[in-house]
Amino acid sequence: MGIKELLNLSDEDVKKPMPKPSKWSRPFWENTKQGKLTLKRCKDCGHIDQPPYLYCTNCMSENSEWIEASGKGKLKAYAINVYMVPFPFWDDMPYVVAMVELAEGVTMISNIVECDHDKLKNGMDLEVVFDDVSPEFTLPKWRPVKR
Amino acid sequence: MSKGEFAIIGTGEVPCGQYPERTEFEIAYEVARLAIKDAGIDKNEIGAVLSAQHIMGSEYNTEAVFGRLPEAIGAKGCKITCMTSSGGASSFSIRKTAEGILHSGETDTVLVIHAQRFSQFTMNEMARYFAVAGSDEEWDVPYGMTYNSLAAMITQGYLAATGTTIEQVAAVSVACRKWACLQPNAMYNKKEITVEKVLSSRMVAWPLTSLMCNVLADGGSAYIMTTAEKARKVCKKPAYILADASEYSHRGITTAKVKDLESLGTFLTPIAMKAYERAGLGPKEMSIFEMYGSYPVVQLILLDSIGICEPGKSGKLVASGATSPGGKYPTTTNGEALSFGHTGTGVGFGLFVEGVRQLQGKAGKAQVPNARFLIENTGGGAFMDCHFTILGNEIPA
Repeated sequence: MGIKELLNLSDEDVKKPMPKPSKWSRPFWENTKQGKLTLKRCKDCGHIDQPPYLYCTNCMSENSEWIEASGKGKLKAYAINVYMVPFPFWDDMPYVVAMVELAEGVTMISNIVECDHDKLKNGMDLEVVFDDVSPEFTLPKWRPVKR
Repeated sequence: MSKGEFAIIGTGEVPCGQYPERTEFEIAYEVARLAIKDAGIDKNEIGAVLSAQHIMGSEYNTEAVFGRLPEAIGAKGCKITCMTSSGGASSFSIRKTAEGILHSGETDTVLVIHAQRFSQFTMNEMARYFAVAGSDEEWDVPYGMTYNSLAAMITQGYLAATGTTIEQVAAVSVACRKWACLQPNAMYNKKEITVEKVLSSRMVAWPLTSLMCNVLADGGSAYIMTTAEKARKVCKKPAYILADASEYSHRGITTAKVKDLESLGTFLTPIAMKAYERAGLGPKEMSIFEMYGSYPVVQLILLDSIGICEPGKSGKLVASGATSPGGKYPTTTNGEALSFGHTGTGVGFGLFVEGVRQLQGKAGKAQVPNARFLIENTGGGAFMDCHFTILGNEIPA
């Protein structure tokens, strides 16, 4: 029995939270829907902002472009959620929340999927996978690179 | 601010825990009354009433910014009232606001109040709020990130990088509980816990067990702050604010100024050293170390950064009992969020008020003998900032 039946929760209570894009982050989510992981790079100073903001946080330039990331990353640190998570994630436990450092130098929070929890190790190589979590949104997630 | 320009002359605090019948208004009025009584001043001497934000909203926030508190307390001499918030760092930002008001000369006496009642909310409301409170709604929340998982990740990264053991992490919870057992107002003050008990409590976000996570609670505290000049006239043993130092880092941990978890100390150490330097004191002069950890690993990272042990070795220090009652480095003497209780924006207030009590010699069973100087820390958000403060019951030359 899932948490919804167990606690007699409403559909709303167990609905997965979706990203709420801003004007300046919308291309990120449009691109993940196309299976592309992209980052906002400043055309003037080359700085990459993840999360993206209205203008470059390094030089304040509004002149930017979306570049496709390599999809390669490294595991920096992780946690395995096994209790006391928000209801929409209750039935997913245990799941891994991690900090992933992209080859491009920025870091993101994500899930590590398709992995043996006991074999996770900081510094291990990861590759991006795309999870269509709703008709509107695709989340980039990560899995260990198979050797 | 010059060294020792301002001082705290009295404090008030109510028991922390689940008290659904006690409204946040009652807490606010009661802690104000206790602080005024403790300071031994007339309520009408208070020229400013500052309040901290009540987490998850409530009528209290609206009422406070509409001027309810001075009226209810009967602070007839009040000229300024406001609410100041920076989440967990509120105890710092509100004190800076108080300093500015005192500095302006409009009044020489400020009352600062914190009150929180979590027990008015349902489990579902709390779950919803804290699902997003520490995390970024766009970049973290869709992944099922929680405050506990953030602390768990930092713990995992810190252990992997430093060789600290999970037993040493558990020892922080044990030490905090020992201190809480000496505190009449602590939520968990009945029974000490052991490392084994901490490790065998329910796993929440590996590697964190439930006894390594803080517990939300109702509570509140208040204090009276004045100029040092007035403090000397009206108070036998004021606690002087000797120095502060601050840094902001990030909104989300992924954009922290320091990129590697094992080197978080390189962000914190310069702040602590600057605070010591401004006070003209060093770690050797400190009697007490009031660290706002909220999770054991954060206390360890803070202890690594304040000049009492080599970076990465604080786990060993805590496990040796050095930070416990009777130890060489009395740390977090009220038991903090882990055992005193997590009162929203109030954890820092609780720690600050406890530090003042220690310096005033009013800390009861938790009193550290001959406490003269202490270093206190606070920070908010998802470890967004850090503030170190040096307090003393005398002003060093």
